[in-house]
Amino acid sequence: MRLGKYEVKLEKKARVTGVEATAISLLAILIGLALVGLIFLQAGVSPLTGYKAIFSYAFANAFGLPLTINRSVFILLCTCAFIVPMKAGLWNIGTAGQLYGGTLVAFGVALVFGAKDPQTPTLAPGIVIALMMLGAMLGGALIGAIPGFLKGRFNTNEIVVTMMLNSVGYWLIAFMIKEGGPFMGGGGEGQGFKLSESIFGPMILGGTFTIPIALALAALLYFVFAKTTLGYQIKAFGLSPSAAKYAGISPHNVPLLVFILGGVIAGLAGYHYFAAVPGVYKIPTNYGDFGDLSFYGIICGLISQGNPLAAIPFALLFGGLTNGGRFVQGQLQLGYGIDYALLGVLMITLVAFQFFYRNTLVWKKLERES
Amino acid sequence: MWEFAARSLNASAVFTIAALGELIGQRAGILNVGIEGVMLFGATVGFIVAKTTGSYLLGCLAALAIGGLIAALHGFFSITLGGDQVVNGMGIWIMGFGLTAYIGYPYTGPLGLERIPGLLGLSPFFFIAVALVGLTWWMFAKTSLGLRIRSAGENPSVTEVSGINVTRTRYLSVVVSGMLMGLGGAIYSLSYNPVWSINFLLGWGFIALALVFFSMWNPFILLGGSILFGTLWQLSLNPQLVLQSVLSRYIWRTVPFIITIAVLVLMSTKWFSSRWGAAKPQALGLPREEE
Repeated sequence: MRLGKYEVKLEKKARVTGVEATAISLLAILIGLALVGLIFLQAGVSPLTGYKAIFSYAFANAFGLPLTINRSVFILLCTCAFIVPMKAGLWNIGTAGQLYGGTLVAFGVALVFGAKDPQTPTLAPGIVIALMMLGAMLGGALIGAIPGFLKGRFNTNEIVVTMMLNSVGYWLIAFMIKEGGPFMGGGGEGQGFKLSESIFGPMILGGTFTIPIALALAALLYFVFAKTTLGYQIKAFGLSPSAAKYAGISPHNVPLLVFILGGVIAGLAGYHYFAAVPGVYKIPTNYGDFGDLSFYGIICGLISQGNPLAAIPFALLFGGLTNGGRFVQGQLQLGYGIDYALLGVLMITLVAFQFFYRNTLVWKKLERES
Repeated sequence: MWEFAARSLNASAVFTIAALGELIGQRAGILNVGIEGVMLFGATVGFIVAKTTGSYLLGCLAALAIGGLIAALHGFFSITLGGDQVVNGMGIWIMGFGLTAYIGYPYTGPLGLERIPGLLGLSPFFFIAVALVGLTWWMFAKTSLGLRIRSAGENPSVTEVSGINVTRTRYLSVVVSGMLMGLGGAIYSLSYNPVWSINFLLGWGFIALALVFFSMWNPFILLGGSILFGTLWQLSLNPQLVLQSVLSRYIWRTVPFIITIAVLVLMSTKWFSSRWGAAKPQALGLPREEE
């Protein structure tokens, strides 16, 4: 294509460097934010005012910052839960269902050990907390194992299965916490029972103890995929399941394994938000919002190209944007759901920018025709 | 009992029309896993237009238009830019989910229009769905347009060499496919359950996607599958019709999703896929290398 004195051409490229990928991701986010700026304009708010309010609440406000961090840890865990199957070429869009499953088992453990009735003699709180976390991982793993097993054994489309399980998990929680369900809270407002204070997730230096866990998990996953045989096998399967078979990698076990791991991590995300974040400590009425929030894990996983360490700053950014978005929509009288709009716009700009991972624009000055 | 059957058939119209859209796109080789997103757009925009203008017709037209537009975007990413169609489809779904939540929220609540008159409790959309099934079958089986679309989905390079513009054929199919998905969504929000709330489709689009695989790309089997799922869905809403309050209604809500998984597993088995393999468009989901 000719533009004035220049010729613009597209060239395919074999691979992107880390710097290029970061530049493309940042550009995609900036353009996404600019597009959401149009929504601000349409609502009669200057985009600059809007973003200033979002960022200052999310990152420079004594109330906003802890909320941002809690959301970011949640998003980071969901991202890791998405990344592990992604490395094997599989789509885990079921983090919502898996975190519901983990939450249910974790609160089931709490109930068994007398969370509703603090008078009953129970185990030491530390042990109950550990058991709740294990329960969350187990519950997530159980839900995750379903698409993994079906993919490995029957090659069943994991996208549809995980999506169906999201709805199943959603209604299972509704069953447990509403209309006299076993987990119903005292208020009868359609929310779960509140944990007793002794088994709140502990705090470390003013933050939830799940923050170091999530960070360590991201580092561990990075290590697993960079240095271990297991990580290599998963990646080999992702590149070509049939070739991996000849390399001695079981095509049945890899999908099962990655989905179980994804489910374990997603279960932890559920534990984090419902049992360790200050002020929550129960399954709230709007638990579905957190299933929706988990979809940021998909964007975050794609934008960080499956690198769990690179996902950390993006998770922080998205945590801040959703938290700040929720805040400003009240303050600036924007419509409800600016964080949802952001989710949608960021996703589609990111998808559009995938193109530049594979192609590059080449500008060439044309010789003057004589 | 008839009322129950009529409700089930009305529900099946949503599945049928949306899944027919997906089927047409897939026949041309374009997989759109974002069908739920396109349906959400059609449903939300159709709902808003119908609610503000008071006209069902305008609502449906708006749904057709937005559906076509969103699918054209998917087409642009998948045909022109040649990206991974699953990634693009996921993008379309999440965009639909996020943006419609924002756009539709001020209109939360019932539509508040007089219901569309039907025949014996059946909405006119059911008859439209049946007619479209016949029409689609006829188009693929008997017309040269259908042949062109199918060949674009089987072997685009050979199709191109035989003088058919593959890109144009694929765009045409994708836009028509999106219009049907948008209309399917609008049938849900205007006729089947005219109340707007966030993410109200709850995976119906993904069920429709599963139905296309299930149908082995045959519109009549697709209609049968849609009626099956419409009935299942209706049963899960009215469990008392089968068993007197055995399970909580919330547990019943999970039943259609579990059955979708079971059906999906059945059709991924060797026994099923040996028949299915023949019908699957060869170039489905593959970008075309242009030189």
